[in-house]
Amino acid sequence: MAKVNPEFAKELTKYGVDDFNACFNCGNCTATCSLSTNDSSFPREMVRYTTLGLEDELRSSLKPWECYYCGECSKECPRQANPGELMMSLRRWLTAQYDWTGLSGLLYRSLTLSIAALLLVAAGVFFFARSVNFEAETLLHTGHRFEMLAIATVFLVIFVPNLLRMWYFTVVKNGVKAPLKSYVTALSELFIHMFTQKKAKDCDEKDNFRWLEHMVLVFAYLSLLFTTVFLNWFGTESLFVVVLGYVESLLIFVITVHFVSGRIKRNKALNTFSQPSDWLFVIWLLLMGLTAFVVRLFIDLHILENNIWMYLIHLTVLAQWALIIVPFGKWTHFLYRSFGLYFVKIKAMQKS
Amino acid sequence: MRQRIGVYICHCGGNISDYVDVEELSKMFHEEDGVVVSKDVMFACADSNQKAMVEDIQKYNLDAIVVASCSPKLHLHTFRAVAGRAGLNPNNYVQVNIREQCSWPHSDRPREATVKAAGLIRAGINRVAYSEALDSIEIEVKKAVMVIGAGISGMKAAIDLARAGNEVYLVEKDYFVGGHIAQQEKLFMTGQSGKEIVKKLYDEIKTYKNITVFTGATIGKVTGSLGSFNIEIKVKPRYINGKMDKQSVKRVMDDCPVTVRDAFNEGLTTRKAIYKNYPEALPDVPVVDMGALRDHPDFLEKHKAVINPNEQEETIALLAGSVLVTTGFDNYEPKEGEFGYQQIPNVITLPQLNRLMELSPEKLVYNGKEIKSVAFIYCVGSRQKKGDNKYCSRQCCTSTMYTALQLKEKYGKIQNYHLYRDIRTYGKQEILYDRASKQGDLFFKYEEKEMPTVEMNGKTITLKVKDYLTSKKEMEIAPDLVVLVTGMVARADAPHISELFKIPIGNDRFFNEIHPKLKPVETVIKGVYIGGTCQGPKNVSESVQSSLAGASKITALLKSGTVMGDPVVARVDADVCTWCGKCAEVCDYTAIREIVTEAGKHIAGVNRGVCTGCGICAPVCPVNAIEVAKYTDHEIEAMIDGFAAAVEISEEKASAVSEEKEDFVAAHMREYPQIWKDILDTLDTEKKTIPEVADILKIAPEMVTWHLMTMNKYGVVSPAGTNEKEEYYYYKMK
Repeated sequence: MAKVNPEFAKELTKYGVDDFNACFNCGNCTATCSLSTNDSSFPREMVRYTTLGLEDELRSSLKPWECYYCGECSKECPRQANPGELMMSLRRWLTAQYDWTGLSGLLYRSLTLSIAALLLVAAGVFFFARSVNFEAETLLHTGHRFEMLAIATVFLVIFVPNLLRMWYFTVVKNGVKAPLKSYVTALSELFIHMFTQKKAKDCDEKDNFRWLEHMVLVFAYLSLLFTTVFLNWFGTESLFVVVLGYVESLLIFVITVHFVSGRIKRNKALNTFSQPSDWLFVIWLLLMGLTAFVVRLFIDLHILENNIWMYLIHLTVLAQWALIIVPFGKWTHFLYRSFGLYFVKIKAMQKS
Repeated sequence: MRQRIGVYICHCGGNISDYVDVEELSKMFHEEDGVVVSKDVMFACADSNQKAMVEDIQKYNLDAIVVASCSPKLHLHTFRAVAGRAGLNPNNYVQVNIREQCSWPHSDRPREATVKAAGLIRAGINRVAYSEALDSIEIEVKKAVMVIGAGISGMKAAIDLARAGNEVYLVEKDYFVGGHIAQQEKLFMTGQSGKEIVKKLYDEIKTYKNITVFTGATIGKVTGSLGSFNIEIKVKPRYINGKMDKQSVKRVMDDCPVTVRDAFNEGLTTRKAIYKNYPEALPDVPVVDMGALRDHPDFLEKHKAVINPNEQEETIALLAGSVLVTTGFDNYEPKEGEFGYQQIPNVITLPQLNRLMELSPEKLVYNGKEIKSVAFIYCVGSRQKKGDNKYCSRQCCTSTMYTALQLKEKYGKIQNYHLYRDIRTYGKQEILYDRASKQGDLFFKYEEKEMPTVEMNGKTITLKVKDYLTSKKEMEIAPDLVVLVTGMVARADAPHISELFKIPIGNDRFFNEIHPKLKPVETVIKGVYIGGTCQGPKNVSESVQSSLAGASKITALLKSGTVMGDPVVARVDADVCTWCGKCAEVCDYTAIREIVTEAGKHIAGVNRGVCTGCGICAPVCPVNAIEVAKYTDHEIEAMIDGFAAAVEISEEKASAVSEEKEDFVAAHMREYPQIWKDILDTLDTEKKTIPEVADILKIAPEMVTWHLMTMNKYGVVSPAGTNEKEEYYYYKMK
């Protein structure tokens, strides 16, 4: 027995969509979806659950994570109910559901709050810098330490509990009792999806470039993270590391510029409806690449000492990224999607 | 007896002659008694052959003809017309079907097909020998029409009939005109008020001197037939002194102490025992509910100037040439307990909700509770696999969508739930479905085998539905109001009307037309037409369309003052008939009654205007005094004899049809038909493909293909290789 709750539809509109109610359940979306299978069929089911407000069913579903938003369903929909964007909104909603702090939900639903949080972090960075008299040495050192600390804290305090919640909602609550062995065997699935987005290739067979672009971005981002945190890019003397950092940040910059221009031009289904969270994510990633590149350039030109404002900008972007966008914003799709597919695999193994 | 008979046996361009030896048959019937001309022809229906037939009839002074070709459905009228043009009575013509009955079904056995054809043709010849020159029956018709039922269909039809110059009697059972649409605050798709439409139509009716409206009137007795129906109507009294001014009547209404259930408001309210359905109801004269006031003699005494308790029912005899029945429908009344109806407080029907909405201008309140959510259960009383009402009521889906939109428009925040089986908002009405779903209404699909259930849980309603759109998950809804979308059923008094006018009733208990496509408003009773929802569920537009169709048919029928009837009717041999009444008993159309001849003899008399020639009377007559023209014993017996007679066709002859015949056919082909000549003309100089020929002749390529293939078969043309792209064959003259 499931209680119908029409209010939920209104709640979900805060996460982006508003036209799924036009759906008359023809099922064209499911038929046209290249990822939907007999065993796991979407998006019609998700549209239906949303319309009726079956929150429990939605919270325990992994299907939104199986969608890579090629946009075919929205194109084929005879009622312009936009199922593709609904799947996207459900991912935002799920991210908010998994987050035990509740901050994700708040930030997704309110642009004002997001801006306020970003300003707050910027102010924090500024006041900290003033407290150390804008000393380059101290700032660079603290910046590096902050990075490591932030990664560890976000991971332990936010991601681990949130992933456990996700696991509880989607696996435990669904009554799946998988032995430890399947969790280990399925690990390969987790990493493949995390780093290659293998399934996205099936999503839009005509356009492999986007998939490639995305993968390069993921690798560039992760390795820049590694280069700055563990190889201490801003402090190193090693020519190899310096050049590596340049290449990585440049790649991030170029690809994100392309992504941003795509969202401006709305050239693809997935770029048609950009929410504030989408803009923040891609723009901050762009700024990260850009500011990191310029900071290292300033270091190599030996002008950073006299232009410490540049590093402050970078540090602000970095802090906002690490404290807001990564733990509570769109960044998390990197984790949830790959874990989602990991859990799907475990469930499938259990079934067979 | 006809002694100079012409027989024409058709090849049908090979359709018949490929299997039936038509030449042999035509030679054979040359020898037949009474046959003067016997020919086999390539296409009997061709203009040239029709001309030849006319010439033959005149040249040989033929008195009857037989054409052995295709089904009479195809060419009966063609050859009747040929007979007519040649000065023969069209009834001295018989068509024999040797295509559908011989060559096509017996293509595997040409000899037997030929034998059968011979039998059928001989039967035809024997029958035509006994055929009579029958003339059509002329019936005088009165240009007056009775329209029964003054709903929107009846009112619109009455206006059209009056405009065309007919005298119109518009008879309404209720005391006020308008029928169901008066109960609708707004009608889909235009949003017009039902009451406004009723007023507009009534005002228009009043401008026609040739329309007489009878309200509170029922049909008493019906006799007569097409052209002159004698109908008695009974007009119930209103018990109101018609001479009193409106103010005094109004005062008495206000003073009335008795209130009763208000049927017009579907029982949601009560009304005074002196009432109008609604303040603007027409005609603008209230009615006294005397049944409810009999026990209040003081009141009646006090207002005796206005109320006349002794007014009597009036019987009026009317004469109408034709009748249009537009009696409408009843709403399906759910059984007690059907989805909690009458057991759970907030379960009502759609007609009730529509009344409730009109009565609630500000807030929607029912049973003291403000309604915030409404669940509609569709198909209540319709589409029942096991129940009586198998049909779909057509208008309810759209009506519900429109109501759902109105709910939201009028009362703001209302959540609608639709529990449907299939949505049938056909045609332009689909827009309403679209709008309803876009305004946030929720739809659930249920199946008849797993019906939704309505329960009362404390103070709230729990509606459970197995939703086929959510993989049959059981859903729970808690609406404030459950609305049963009830369908249309035939009126309770439909059997009464059916009995009076002898209109057949279908399994669905609605009136039956003759043919849903070809005779959609005609009944088997000549002169009686049906329109609107008495025929079956329709929406307002469709109802008006059908009643106007009926009005047009009637206008055309009565226009000249006379109607020509088919002469194939029953007739009585006055010398033999002893009037036992058996024929009258079995006659479905009451066409037979007892008459007295000039000689004073009691015999059966047939009303030729009513008789349909069905023939049911003939076999029941114990003294064989009654028969149907064209189906006399002589004709039928002669046919049987003819068919049973031995046919001599040798094995070789039948199989020798082939080569010899093809030469013959090829020789004759050139003479016929025109299209072949045209095709041959195009092939005169050089070979051509089918599309090229079609292009030159400006006719469809399929047509060219069909004829060219036949021409090829008979060796008139032959293929001459393909074109360059190897798409089409070239054809050339042989």
